[in-house]
Amino acid sequence: MQRRSAARLSPLLLLLLLLLPLAWGAGPWPPRADRELQVSSRLAGQAARVALHYLNYRLGSPSALRALGQVRKATVKPIPGIGHKYYLQFTTEDYKSSQNVGTCLATVLYLKRKPRPAVNINCTYTKDQKQTREDDYSFYKKLRQQTKPITGNDTPDSYGHIEPALEPAWALAVAGSSYLMWEKSTENLGYFMAQVKNVKQWITKDDSIDFDYLVILHEIPTQEMISCHLRVIWTPGHPLKVKYFCLSENQRSESGEGSGTESGSTNGIFNEEEANF
Amino acid sequence: RVKPNSEEEINKLQLLETLEHLQLDFWLHPSNPALPVDIRVPFPSLQPVKVFLESHHIEYSILLEDLQVEKSTSLMERGTSNFNYGAYHPLESIYAALDDLAAEYPSLVSKQEIGESYEKRPMYILKFSTGGTSRSAIWLDAGIHSREWITQATALWTAQKIASEYGNNPSVTSLLNRMDIFLLVVTNPDGYAFTHTNNRMWRKTRSKNSGSLCVGVDPNRNWDAGFGGPGASTNPCSESYHGPSANSEVEVKNVVNFIKSHGKIKAFLTLHSYSQLLLFPFGYKCTNPADYNELDTVGKAAASALASLYGTTYKVGTICSTIYQASGGSIDWSYDYGIKYSFAFELRDTGRYGFLLPASQIIPTAEETWLGLLKIMEHVRDNQS
Repeated sequence: MQRRSAARLSPLLLLLLLLLPLAWGAGPWPPRADRELQVSSRLAGQAARVALHYLNYRLGSPSALRALGQVRKATVKPIPGIGHKYYLQFTTEDYKSSQNVGTCLATVLYLKRKPRPAVNINCTYTKDQKQTREDDYSFYKKLRQQTKPITGNDTPDSYGHIEPALEPAWALAVAGSSYLMWEKSTENLGYFMAQVKNVKQWITKDDSIDFDYLVILHEIPTQEMISCHLRVIWTPGHPLKVKYFCLSENQRSESGEGSGTESGSTNGIFNEEEANF
Repeated sequence: RVKPNSEEEINKLQLLETLEHLQLDFWLHPSNPALPVDIRVPFPSLQPVKVFLESHHIEYSILLEDLQVEKSTSLMERGTSNFNYGAYHPLESIYAALDDLAAEYPSLVSKQEIGESYEKRPMYILKFSTGGTSRSAIWLDAGIHSREWITQATALWTAQKIASEYGNNPSVTSLLNRMDIFLLVVTNPDGYAFTHTNNRMWRKTRSKNSGSLCVGVDPNRNWDAGFGGPGASTNPCSESYHGPSANSEVEVKNVVNFIKSHGKIKAFLTLHSYSQLLLFPFGYKCTNPADYNELDTVGKAAASALASLYGTTYKVGTICSTIYQASGGSIDWSYDYGIKYSFAFELRDTGRYGFLLPASQIIPTAEETWLGLLKIMEHVRDNQS
């Protein structure tokens, strides 16, 4: 079945990709007095990552996590008294397999006042959504079936190895960390999730999956490694609930809480098959 | 690997063992529910075995996807001295491997000490030379930031590659007939040892900072190039602390002394991770070097060669425009010192694993990086003045 829809996808995908720049031009494309960025510039990549952190958090789906592919187009517009708004077009890859899974258009507004960047992001998604829903559900089932709570250290370990039994917990940590990294990101500070130092599952009486994590974030350009406690509560199909508490070298601690009600938008994902062009 | 959880599951696996037509090879036999059962499954039986296990809810995982691939890769990894280049090794093992290479290729490879680290560990370079007197040379170093494990591993593989290619690869042969190569596999041995014993994410040297409880200086902010400028910290507790003064770190000083006393180094290449970038000066200032066009052209050719193997894409550009402004960096120093061909590689990946790159990616990373390095070295060979 998969193969048949792939064959059907190609002409639609082509059409979609052809129309993307048109949509781009017609839509909220910034007028003059804006700076076109080199797609290879750090700021462009960083802004794209922020948009993806937001997307990964909002989707709350460990099987549909995405990483940045290539930035295709980037512009930054200064909004006097408010901040800088980035307009981006970039490709994305599946977090696990690195296969290309679609293109995104996003705006990222770094505000001078409020700490958290405002993101709007729309993406195409070439992975079978039914499949990812099923994968999420089997993740969920496996974790619900635990009678003994999952615990673990150093994932990946020093040698880059992730214990297969800890993969679902690790994927959920990536999703939860996405919220954290989105919150902390500024125009000049970017983050990667370097390692899950510690994971502990809470067996709940309700439907949810509940994990406690200690994650290490890699901060750019300072090169600092930031330790954060993360609490992630997940029920498939519902917004991810995340609480965090970070410690930094200078004893500044920051905390935050997310439940899917934050402002920002993603028009969800549209599959090529469903798009009507 | 099958993980039976009950007597009942053991019985099912024992039943599986009796099905001769599947030709299953049990490396570990089902006996006790506490012990795993390892089975080699021939390809035609893969589907029925999976269905059997899943329908009985028996937990399993795949240890080795394809044994044939595993076997042939393993052979490639080890080279002739049986050292596993596809794994991460502690300092002692790396140093032993350097000796082995020098012993295996005595007419080409020799080991030299260029000084000691802060904690008195020797800093060894390998010299690749076919003779001559005061030939021009290419410098390559790795592991200046100790947590970037892929760099030391890549450098070690590259050492083996250079040695084995001489006499076999025309380009490498003509290069070594004219120039020498110097390779420093572990630029920051104290830091590297620390990543094994205490903190896998340690970046800096291990020097004590007077007046502070925090240890270490960022060795790539310690060079005499815009020292103390933007992009380096004055705080000893910071990961990018530049140190009390330029070359205060003995590890940096040893390299500077070597380069200066050699006098004919024509290229200065250094390995970092991660981000998949190929960078050239400047980092301490955001203006382009005089040789921008040539360095950009060579860089793009190298990135293209690198990508040709596995499709790994690298961005090319100056440090300041591609990564961030950072003062006191090694290739800025070497360029201002007069070594035109100064490049820094940021190896795999782009953030998924970051510093914790799986060992399975060592050989592919080293293989593709080699193509990029060779491109640069060929250009140096053909253009040195």
